[in-house]
Amino acid sequence: MSRVTHLPKLHLTAQQALITTEENNTADGRRLSKPAPWQEVMPVLPVHLRRLISNLPSNLLEKLEEIRLRQNRSLIVGLPDEDSFVSQNGVPVKNPGEAYLVTADDIQRVTQLISGCSLYALEEELKNGFITLPGGHRVGLTGKTVVEGGRVKMLKYISGLNIRISREVNGIATPLLSYLIDHKSGSIHHTLIFSPPRCGKTTLLRDIIHQLSNGIPELNFPGQVIGVVDERSELAGCYRGIPQRDVGVRTDVLDGCPKAEGMFMLLRSMSPQVIATDEIGGPEDFAALEGVFNAGVKVLTTVHAASLTELANRPALNNLLNMRLIERFVLLGRSRGIGTIEKIIDGKTMRPL
Amino acid sequence: MLKLLGSIVVTIAGGLTGMVIARSYSLRPVELRYLQSALQMLETEITYTATPLAEALGLVAARADNRVAPLFEQTRAELLSMSGCTAGEAWENALRKFYPQSALLTCDFSILRSLGSALGISDSRDQSKHLRLAMEQIGMEINRAESNALRHVKLWNYLGFLGGLVIVLLFY
Repeated sequence: MSRVTHLPKLHLTAQQALITTEENNTADGRRLSKPAPWQEVMPVLPVHLRRLISNLPSNLLEKLEEIRLRQNRSLIVGLPDEDSFVSQNGVPVKNPGEAYLVTADDIQRVTQLISGCSLYALEEELKNGFITLPGGHRVGLTGKTVVEGGRVKMLKYISGLNIRISREVNGIATPLLSYLIDHKSGSIHHTLIFSPPRCGKTTLLRDIIHQLSNGIPELNFPGQVIGVVDERSELAGCYRGIPQRDVGVRTDVLDGCPKAEGMFMLLRSMSPQVIATDEIGGPEDFAALEGVFNAGVKVLTTVHAASLTELANRPALNNLLNMRLIERFVLLGRSRGIGTIEKIIDGKTMRPL
Repeated sequence: MLKLLGSIVVTIAGGLTGMVIARSYSLRPVELRYLQSALQMLETEITYTATPLAEALGLVAARADNRVAPLFEQTRAELLSMSGCTAGEAWENALRKFYPQSALLTCDFSILRSLGSALGISDSRDQSKHLRLAMEQIGMEINRAESNALRHVKLWNYLGFLGGLVIVLLFY
């Protein structure tokens, strides 16, 4: 069972903090003006950390990917190709000794703020080790796990946090699209995008969904009805069920729903032409995928793996590979920046295209 | 004539003072009762529907009696302002504003204050325990406040009036 959680709207007025991230939401939840991605996560930081981060040089802030807080250790910000310590005054430094030391109080405050001071409402999320913020940003958590009956029941003594800033990059999928479209069926090929973590899978998938859903006139491709199962609220960044990211005009989003169950729910209820999910992993996901592959809809999904061999080494995936159902494999890397499309492999011949 | 008028004024003043003191005695159990039921609502919101704290506080503020609603409303407002304060701090700030306007005593204040430090920081079972503890403590205070009220309300109502009379008689 998944519990729908509501985080309070992150509102921040100019007097109270240094950075304004006022979201001018209309009554139907559409967003009028948008703050920079890094500004969207500022409300979850205590005031002194907000000041520290916003003092960073602006070229660095634009590229900011992660803010890592580890108790009693130095504050680190993650950038595309490196990470950097941050000093007391918000200056990037190389030496961890000069960096701001994250205190127990900082961790506790951030933990409270990311949960909207309602940890009890996020028990399910704490079990999974991450919390999604309004805007689709994700906070990873580590600490001491409480295990009951061999399963993680709760995370206590939270001591490490990683705030990952998600961003929309319009158009990064464009070079890939002509490989995915199957003009014979008037739809797309079954596609699996794989890469190690932090290579932009989710961002790419979001852009593919956005473009396919709206239709691509240059490729003479009409818009498709797309069903998205967004278990971790990362793809569409739903806040109270309303996508905060642009996922296209013909896209239906099941937010916070377990993937296996969600795919069948969409199949039965929303008659999608394409079903998209992010980060399949569990055996139940693969079992469900097998069902969906043969149900007349196209599947678009991602998985963590660095190579085809790694994919094949995972028993559940290997089974799927042997069935030769996936028609396109896309490998992402960082060789020319995040989201570099390294390889596109034809699933029938297993040769690069 | 002037003397008579003065003595009437003194008697009335004495009587009113007595009534004001009596009222504070009779109000305290009433407010405590309202607080108890508001906390009960909060517990329900937290344990059964896992409503986020700010929203839960809003619902409680809307349904609770006007005498205690500001405490919940202000905590909610402070939480929503995202000024970076925790639920405990928001609660304490609201409590400090609420306390002087209420009929509560320091012992009630400290019960509510210690509840605040636990608000929102743990799973629902733990939250429920803290809320129940506070409700139980408030329940004990209600009993004490009621027996106090029973004795003191009558006492002060008479005492103020009679005190006024005594002063009049002494100086007449």
